[in-house]
Amino acid sequence: MAVAAHPGVAGDHIHPAPEGFIRKYVFSIDHKVIGLQYFITGGLFFIIAGLLAEAIRVQLIKPSGLILSPGAYNGVYSVHGSTMVWLVIIPVLTGGFGNFIMPLQIGARDVAFPWLNMLSFWMFPVAGAILFSSFIVGAPDAGWTEYPPISLQGPPGTTVWTVAIFLIGISSTMTGLNFVVTMLKMRAPGMTFTRMTLFVWASLATAVMNMVATAALSAALLALFLERVFDVPFYDPARGGSPILWQHMFWFYSHPAVYIMVLPAFGIISEVFPTFARKPIFGYKMIAFSSILIALLSFMVWAHHMFTSGMAPWLQLPFMIITMIIAVPTGIKIFSWLATLWGGKIWFTTAMMFSLGFILTFTFGGITGVFLAAVPVDLQAHGTYFIVGHLHYVLVGGSVMGILSGIYYWFPKMTGRLLSEKIGHWNFWLFFVGFNGTFLPMHWLGLLGMPRRVATYDPRFQFWNDVSSAFSFVMAVGLLLLFINIAISLRKGKRSGANPWGARTLEWTISSPPPYYNFKHIPAVLKNPYEFSEPLPYLGLDNEQPPGPPVPTFTHPTEVGATR
Amino acid sequence: MANVSTPQQKGMGPGFWPVTLGLTVVNVLISIFIVTLPIDKYLPEAAVPSGEIDALFKFMSVLGNAIFVYVVGYLIYFSIVWRHRSTDSPDALGIQIADNHTLEFWWTAIPTVLVGILAVFSVMIWYGLQNQLGDVLTMEAIGHQFNYEFRYPTLKTSVQNDMHVPVNTPVTLHVTSVDVIHSFWVPEVRLKADMVPGLVQTLRFTPTRVGKYRIICTEFCGVGHSAMDAALYVDSQADFSKWLAGQAKGGSETAAGVAGVPLAKGVADQGKVLFGQKCSTCHSIGPFEQKIVGPGLGQISDNPNHPNLITGKPRIAQNIAWILVNGYDGPDKSTAVEKPPIGVMPNRQANALSNRDISNLTAYLMSLK
Repeated sequence: MAVAAHPGVAGDHIHPAPEGFIRKYVFSIDHKVIGLQYFITGGLFFIIAGLLAEAIRVQLIKPSGLILSPGAYNGVYSVHGSTMVWLVIIPVLTGGFGNFIMPLQIGARDVAFPWLNMLSFWMFPVAGAILFSSFIVGAPDAGWTEYPPISLQGPPGTTVWTVAIFLIGISSTMTGLNFVVTMLKMRAPGMTFTRMTLFVWASLATAVMNMVATAALSAALLALFLERVFDVPFYDPARGGSPILWQHMFWFYSHPAVYIMVLPAFGIISEVFPTFARKPIFGYKMIAFSSILIALLSFMVWAHHMFTSGMAPWLQLPFMIITMIIAVPTGIKIFSWLATLWGGKIWFTTAMMFSLGFILTFTFGGITGVFLAAVPVDLQAHGTYFIVGHLHYVLVGGSVMGILSGIYYWFPKMTGRLLSEKIGHWNFWLFFVGFNGTFLPMHWLGLLGMPRRVATYDPRFQFWNDVSSAFSFVMAVGLLLLFINIAISLRKGKRSGANPWGARTLEWTISSPPPYYNFKHIPAVLKNPYEFSEPLPYLGLDNEQPPGPPVPTFTHPTEVGATR
Repeated sequence: MANVSTPQQKGMGPGFWPVTLGLTVVNVLISIFIVTLPIDKYLPEAAVPSGEIDALFKFMSVLGNAIFVYVVGYLIYFSIVWRHRSTDSPDALGIQIADNHTLEFWWTAIPTVLVGILAVFSVMIWYGLQNQLGDVLTMEAIGHQFNYEFRYPTLKTSVQNDMHVPVNTPVTLHVTSVDVIHSFWVPEVRLKADMVPGLVQTLRFTPTRVGKYRIICTEFCGVGHSAMDAALYVDSQADFSKWLAGQAKGGSETAAGVAGVPLAKGVADQGKVLFGQKCSTCHSIGPFEQKIVGPGLGQISDNPNHPNLITGKPRIAQNIAWILVNGYDGPDKSTAVEKPPIGVMPNRQANALSNRDISNLTAYLMSLK
């Protein structure tokens, strides 16, 4: 084998795969199994939080509220938000895609600390169970932000909430540390920084943010816990505490968290676009550099969530201006993706549809984000449904569309089977139309005077709330199709082979699903992976690759129902 | 397979320039629509900074629209023109081009300049907000779970849930809260400030249009949050004076007595806890002379040499409770007592005291030795 040509490369020391069911599927230390565990657990939490979201939309069909008391409603939206952020988007992007894809793309056999990885994962379902158990004692009711002093008055579930989120925070910090070390130390020989895939670049930026920022949240949560349980007055102004302190600590984490939630999605889009446009990603260096720049800037903008909270007026200026500056690196990415489309031979697979949809919705959410950066406009929009619309455009139209694109793209790698493109296209269109119909009206509802976090509202807002609720069901049906598609494919999906899309990154050079050890021989990397007209730039691959550029396993893209 | 031909391309591809022209026309049309959109018709501009804020909003909408239309327009156009066609071979590749420094320079430089222009414009509007006229009428709004309390300098008692301001009069509004974070938002004024306990924030605006508007709480504050609102009446000068006079008269008449307070049922221990939360910032439990803001209250009931209450009344439970109910901000014209000390004793609304709280506090004060 070619390993002989690379005597420096460790080739022979492969641990045997574990035998028992428990060590193989439950307490596994294999990054791929852990990745799938994140997907399954995250998917379960997504269903729960999605049902909570539908409860919100059903409640708001009538101005006086349809199904829930104000108290119950407050619990529902608080747990919906907390679950989607901490138990779905962050774990699925970082824990799911990060675990499964990142080590494969850098040519590693596992992450740097597999046992730590297992521990990180198992804190996550435990945290989820703890969070949902709060419904028994009275769910937290002050939103996912839990501003004191109202969170000091909140029901007992608020304490449960702090414990759950604290655990998730520790898990994130450990995963961040683990991934940073993995990406810095375990890349295959020849995999210089400029030969890493853009998903790995995005994961690196994300991991650094996870490692650094989450500590601020953990500290804030610990203080809230101490105040609620042991009466230590950190936040209660009546006893010398500061409610604003919480907001600074919370957003010092939660603004970077916005990018923790969207940078990996950027990474996914950057993989999907070149593969299905059949050409190199445009402006590789600028996309990679802009990820790092966004990660850096994200630490300097947190107080833009607090323009109305009370701070020295002059302090608003740097936060306003730096926030606006983030539009520049984000714009670079969007323009680079557009340029990647130009001159392509575009396959409209479901993965590509979600990536294309992502550009539209994320651009819209990004633009309304700049609106909110401007202090005078934020004074009108803050705390209203405009914010609700904006944040769903970036988190659902951004992160979730990225996740869906990634699932359709990498599902064959994870399972060895293709998802149905026919159901996939229905999934995309129902989701896309439902999404825009649900969240677009919220922008003008907010500007005209509808505050967020209300169980009842002014009757003059009923029409657009009903439109929003109606479209939310369309979106839900679209998402239901994803689960149906997965269920059908797992039973009788078409075998995908190693590389159904003719993609060029390392994970596609090994079988689907990959073997326990990933690479029998660690390959050497000669170039960055995106030059479609050239042979694969890897030496020492386990299986015999035909000379020349990789070819899709299909005689024609229509076989996967791709061209329209 | 090794010799896959890589297609070459001259120019920007079929239809690029007509599409660009079309998108530009669409952009101009939408921009005209945005600029001429009468926001005032949908959401009145009822106070001075609202017009400037809407101007900034329109400016941003024009910029944002331009970017959105080009991005989505090219997205759709490229998807159509550069799609994999059924006549293409399965392994057909796109044009192998990985970067273009000129293009990348411009799509970094142009947004940077646009952001710069936007930042300058935003800072100008922001600067205007910091320098709004105010102080012709200075008043306070205090958030409670779940209602608003308003205080006017010439009224002895506060007004609940109705805020009146005279038209064309610069208003300075100080906002705070007594319990949790609330917020003060009037969509028609385009201003908002959180009402944070322990912190006073200031809004300045000049109402320009007579009418009734909604004050809305946008910070979650508890089960009553959804229903927490109040009315802002912008009155003509004459109406406002009339309203204020009515309040002043009604105010002294309704200065509540202590009839509802169950003085006999007060529990000193519970009063002690409340004292720590509500009173100890301004009052010690030392002797009368040990002042923080108000006098020390430790000997209020048992020291025979202790002066009378600030109201001039004897130190009995009923009179102490009266102060807790009504607060104290100066001598009553009807009784001649000496000048009050610095500081104002807030009334029960401001301190959020129930009848039971007042009886407990009174019992505690009477029990101090």
